[in-house]
Amino acid sequence: MLDIELLGMELKNPLMLASGILGVSGASLKRVALSGGAGAIVTKSIGMTPREGHRNPTFVELDNGYLSAIGLANPGYVEFEEEIDVAKAGNVPIIASVYGFSFREYVEVGRVMEGYGADAIELNLSYPNVGKAGAFYGYSEELAHEVVAEVKKEVNLPVIAKLTAGAGDIVAIAKACEDAGADGITAIGSLRAMKIDIETGRPVLGNKMGGLSGSCIKPIAVRCVYEISREVSIPVIGCGGITTGEDAIEYFMAGANAVQIGTGLLSRGITIFKKVSLEIKEYMEENGYSGIDEIIGLAL
Amino acid sequence: MNTMEIAKIKRVVKDTQRIKTFILDIDVSAIPGQFVMVWLPDVDEKPMSVSYTSGDMGITILELGDFTRRLCELKVGGKIGIRGPMGRGFKVYGDRLLLVGGGVGMAPLAPLAEDAIKEGKEVTAIVGAITAKELLFVERLKKAGVRVFVSTDDGTAGYKGFTTDVLQELLQKETFDQCFTCGPEIMMFKVLNIAEDKEIPTQASLHRYFKCGIGICGHCVLDGTGLRVCKEGPTFRDKELRKSHEFGYYWRNAAGQKIYFGVKK
Ligand SMILES: Cc1cc2nc3c(=O)[nH]c(=O)nc-3n(C[C@H](O)[C@H](O)[C@H](O)COP(=O)(O)OP(=O)(O)OC[C@H]3O[C@@H](n4cnc5c(N)ncnc54)[C@H](O)[C@@H]3O)c2cc1C
Ligand SMILES: Cc1cc2nc3c(=O)[nH]c(=O)nc-3n(C[C@H](O)[C@H](O)[C@H](O)COP(=O)(O)O)c2cc1C
Ligand code: FES
Repeated sequence: MLDIELLGMELKNPLMLASGILGVSGASLKRVALSGGAGAIVTKSIGMTPREGHRNPTFVELDNGYLSAIGLANPGYVEFEEEIDVAKAGNVPIIASVYGFSFREYVEVGRVMEGYGADAIELNLSYPNVGKAGAFYGYSEELAHEVVAEVKKEVNLPVIAKLTAGAGDIVAIAKACEDAGADGITAIGSLRAMKIDIETGRPVLGNKMGGLSGSCIKPIAVRCVYEISREVSIPVIGCGGITTGEDAIEYFMAGANAVQIGTGLLSRGITIFKKVSLEIKEYMEENGYSGIDEIIGLAL
Repeated sequence: MNTMEIAKIKRVVKDTQRIKTFILDIDVSAIPGQFVMVWLPDVDEKPMSVSYTSGDMGITILELGDFTRRLCELKVGGKIGIRGPMGRGFKVYGDRLLLVGGGVGMAPLAPLAEDAIKEGKEVTAIVGAITAKELLFVERLKKAGVRVFVSTDDGTAGYKGFTTDVLQELLQKETFDQCFTCGPEIMMFKVLNIAEDKEIPTQASLHRYFKCGIGICGHCVLDGTGLRVCKEGPTFRDKELRKSHEFGYYWRNAAGQKIYFGVKK
């Protein structure tokens, strides 16, 4: 009932693990697939060289969401081969998230991930907390277009562009990506934000700025998915603030073909994918739907 | 919710030449073995075991690098941020308990011993350090009624050698219902092997690089099991650790690269 086909991949359900969530090692990804029940897993964003990331605090809970600034910490693409190998035992499609400080780096890491046997590539054009990487490309139509076009030239896997609502006009960016040959769009990544502790008068995060995620960003993300879905014909993957089946259904109705779950794991555990799957099924049964495709885009 | 709370330092105790205990003005009611994330504004935030778990909370710090040096400079009235308590504490069910602690690894074991004695259990501890002046919480344990054996690498107090030598000898003559250990991973690895031979169930408190400390970033996950040290740990049963080919051999640095303790397997 929940199985879908997306960009040539068979997913047993439309719920993916979002990038950067339990995604730096194969053992961790495998657990999310096997025990968690995710339909697909997206790796941590991987770059050319190992990165230690920002100093702590890198994560703090807020009233209605979370603020994080891990700083793209990752072991680098050479060492990640082993992790992909281990993650394959999870038996679900693996989407390799890739970031770079130049077009060349995005292309290079994408090519290598293809060699490792990833099923698709997600270009991180959304991460807001590291200078000239991630969102730096997602804020500009020209840069987004060029990075997608360059990667498409050398990578034969489906290429998904992950975008940020921090861009002035996310719809224009999505169209630029589609025009450059992107096979799908993920919307959205965390939103640049900050938290100051008023007892000490200091910014809490080590990086001062971080990315906002969780329930508080959902209405913004749903709006983005809705607007993008109306303008592009490639699949859209919704992301931001999903913790329940109702949240996911809202995204499908806004036009999402699949969704990603990140910090929702904190309140509902690693098995959130199984729980949300059940809740979607219940909703579909109660309302007489027999396939996800029947609700996709209902609100458009 | 796991928001940050600002705590004031009420008391500072110099335990050894390099170790200090900070008693804070908050009561987090932790289970021994649980940890808190300690934030020093503008510097960093790192995991620390709760060393005084009931009443005013305490943490016990070994001065090592920049963060702990800056922390150890703090005086009474100084402010730090606390998130927690987090993770899974030790689980006590037996009546005859054995503790094996190396260096600052005594931090989570001392409150465990005190609680167990209060509940009428028999507690024996093997406390090790590099030298006599660095032995942690020996007096605290004796005061609580714990039978204490001491070992030092240089022989300045107690047995000259390792805690594991004392353990091996002790287990020739006696047995225990449960063993708890915290300290250098190579030591804990040996403790597990020795206790396993004698069929004594063991729990160990692990150290991995923590970023989020709350189970979302994945940097502390153990290979072979997918278990998060900050969430399903930091205390683990021997059976869980046996499933991880990582335990005793390597850990991962802040970038997530494998770093081997000794020679690569
Ligand atoms: C669950 C847990 C409980 C701990 N309890 C205590 C305690 O009670 N008392 C105590 O003194 N120390 C404790 N530590 C260790 C402590 O968190 C720091 O790692 C240590 O104090 C390093 O100090 P530093 O940053 O000054 O030294 P550095 O020289 O900066 O680091 C030394 C080493 O510490 C480790 N380390 C550094 N940063 C982190 C981090 N964010 N997370 C984990 N390890 C890190 C690395 O192995 C590093 O090589 C605990 C660690 C964990 C995971
Ligand atoms: C700890 C943490 C690390 C993240 N790392 C990445 C990353 O490496 N690459 C990326 O594209 N997004 C990253 N994200 C963003 C998430 O993938 C996701 O877009 C965001 O958290 C919103 O979804 P959520 O509300 O379901 O958490 C990270 C988020 C968090 C909380
Ligand atoms: S430190 Fe982030 S999951 Fe454990």
